Amino acid sequence: MKINKKLTTAVLAAATALSLSLNAQAEYVAGEDVTVLQGFKPGGGSDVLAQLVQPYVSKQLGVNFVNEYIPGATGAIAWTRLAKQSKKDGSVVSITNTPMLMTNYIMNEAITYNIKELTPIANVVTDPGIAVVAKDSPYDSIEDLLAAAKEKPGRITVGNSGMGGDDFFTTLLIEKATGLSFKKVPFQGDGPSATAAMGNKIDVSFNNVGTVYSQVQSGNLKALAVFSENRVDSLPDVPTLKEKGVDVVAGSSRGYSAPAGIPDEARDQLIAAFEALKNDQAFLEDAKKRALNIDIVTGDAYGEMFESMEKEFQGIWQEVSAKQQ
Amino acid sequence: MESSIVMTGLSNVFTLYNIAAILGGTLLGLFVGAMPGLSATMALALLLPLTFSMDTGTGLSMLASLYVGASYGGSIAAILLRTPGTPSAAATVLDGFPMSQQGQAGKALGISLFASFIGGLISGVALLLAAPLLGSLVVQFGPIELFAIAVLGITIIGSLAQGSVINGLFSGVVGLLVSTVGMDLTTGTPRMTFDNINLFSGISFTVALIGLFSIPQALALVENSNAPAKVASRITDRLIPRLSELKTLMPNMLRSSGIGIIVGLIPGTGGDTASWFAYNEAKRFAKDKSGFGKGDPAGVAAPEAANNAVVGGALIPTIALGIPGSSATAILLGALMVQGILPGPNLLTDYGDVTYTLIWAVIFANVGLLLVGLMFTKASVAVTRIPDGFIACAIIALCIIGAYAINNSLFEVGLMLGFGLFGYWLAKAGVSPAPMVIGLILGPVMENSFHQSMLIGNDDYRIFLSSPIAVVLLCIAVFSVLQATPVFRWLIEACRRRTQLA
Repeated sequence: MKINKKLTTAVLAAATALSLSLNAQAEYVAGEDVTVLQGFKPGGGSDVLAQLVQPYVSKQLGVNFVNEYIPGATGAIAWTRLAKQSKKDGSVVSITNTPMLMTNYIMNEAITYNIKELTPIANVVTDPGIAVVAKDSPYDSIEDLLAAAKEKPGRITVGNSGMGGDDFFTTLLIEKATGLSFKKVPFQGDGPSATAAMGNKIDVSFNNVGTVYSQVQSGNLKALAVFSENRVDSLPDVPTLKEKGVDVVAGSSRGYSAPAGIPDEARDQLIAAFEALKNDQAFLEDAKKRALNIDIVTGDAYGEMFESMEKEFQGIWQEVSAKQQ
Repeated sequence: MESSIVMTGLSNVFTLYNIAAILGGTLLGLFVGAMPGLSATMALALLLPLTFSMDTGTGLSMLASLYVGASYGGSIAAILLRTPGTPSAAATVLDGFPMSQQGQAGKALGISLFASFIGGLISGVALLLAAPLLGSLVVQFGPIELFAIAVLGITIIGSLAQGSVINGLFSGVVGLLVSTVGMDLTTGTPRMTFDNINLFSGISFTVALIGLFSIPQALALVENSNAPAKVASRITDRLIPRLSELKTLMPNMLRSSGIGIIVGLIPGTGGDTASWFAYNEAKRFAKDKSGFGKGDPAGVAAPEAANNAVVGGALIPTIALGIPGSSATAILLGALMVQGILPGPNLLTDYGDVTYTLIWAVIFANVGLLLVGLMFTKASVAVTRIPDGFIACAIIALCIIGAYAINNSLFEVGLMLGFGLFGYWLAKAGVSPAPMVIGLILGPVMENSFHQSMLIGNDDYRIFLSSPIAVVLLCIAVFSVLQATPVFRWLIEACRRRTQLA
């Protein structure tokens, strides 16, 4: 019975999705092949997203996705290519990672693209931020940590995944929200940052739920707080920063964008295909298996997400660089 | 948990694809090793980009087996042509070539094959047993300890240079300098990038490696292509040695394997050192020394067991600490980096499945070597007859394809060719490119961990003395620098004089 019910909802959802997307079976206006520029190496986080999403979207649109990997400059080479050198007919899209998409050009003048040169299609996954400490750390709650930071300003060492990454900016956001200051220690990625916390080499690591989940479960790391809007399903006992009175929501998100100026028809078709994922049970199951936190935001709403992030990070970066000078 | 990773690695190796990759890799290694003038390092550098599209396990299995195959293949040319196919087969020439002149080429090759198999297998098992011991220390390694490791690794540069220490230091410093290109990982400032976005993430060390190791070798082949070709001796007798022969050689092979593993463990020393060491020891332990140099089977078994045992030994520091013990292991480390795996102590924890796949691949590559060697040794003689010019063209074509494949970027093809020309100049000037590669790998590790340590330690240099592991490693580094200076020799002299007086 239960299976039957699930099946009917799935069929219904699929049917509504089909009718919503203005005959999705019809041919995609930009042709049969869509190139996906990936700014990172095969097998990385972007590729994981592509492997998950593209089979479903390709069925919706009736197209083949061709992945092209152009790693380098934390994605900036691929995004510059997307914004400046790609056909603006909807046949080229790219996986866009936030906040890297904006922090790249906010921090470096030599990187010349910006979000105005892109057509935001859809955000697909968001991995919320999380604060983790070693299992034998003296800090048992986020309050302990903040109190320690108050006592020793600028002495509490906070690991992040690298300069310009999400965790680095999250630290800045928390500093701004609390008026405290931390010592920010950059690592080459989330993994090494978590390992350093595990070995008590740093006081705390600001990380992402997806990266540290298994270590938190196995007890090697203690989770102090998550940086999401609401508590995370997989870690129901961990409070959010918001609950503790620190108004910071942060994480690392990945979605799809096209160059600016693509035909409206192509844009609508792409957005409809991603909208349909929201109700696609098979897709959601698949995402759960890969422990990805689905957060579908399409079209203009995704564009607003870009703009508010750009504004937020630009502001913080100006303050930071003003302080340095 | 530990044992489950070990088994995952084993099952990763045991797929049809991977077994095919191992057999293919050993065969390719056999041929490359047999060709005089081509080294295992070069073959690895060329094959590396071809493994990108493969599954991690398959790619690593293939590279490991190529390494193992080439370590044996070198002896084929040594025995038949009197020219070592690889530098580490130089000692094999002494007794191998006289044996082939006496019509015992088959016997010499057979002994070499079995000695290689035993040496390789023992070192593979040693690697499997030693790795977890070192792996359990991983959480102890933070930025401070990593900095000490990198410093120790850098001091190896001097010993990696064959011949002049000055040349080695020069090459190493160039490597360190090149490693600073790209965004500063602590401040995000682009350095030496000339506002070229292609340089923001730094110079990919695989690009440099392909250029430095392959292009100069190809150019050298072209230069010598008019030299008269040597004619290989024919194999007339049977390849498989008698059991009684193997039995008498067994203690020799076991001793040589032990020597190989230990020499491999010491970063900066490789197959060439180990094979001479083992040869000398075999001679010292032999009851009848008169046969050495005139075709004694023990003189073939010792260096061959030792140079294959180096493979497993050299991988121990590579895997446990992320310090490559030789240029060949540096490339294997590069293969891991390409899969998104950073070198360092967490190779065994975060990426345990991949690392154990590599370890098992080394062990099974030796089994593959025995099979492939028995079937194809005779055929590999034909390889030595291919004109050098053809090989050179093939190498350069593969270099270009390989450099493009890394990041799908033509810019990097140009960069690779630039490094190739620089490497050619280095070769003419008698400077080894190996220290440069070590500098390229360890430069960012050292710089990063230094910055992190200073942040953690509030800009107090004493932070480096706060960790016992770091202190021990730094002391070893100081010792390794001192022993290369005249001060040290003078001290030993002084001590000796004093003991003589007393």
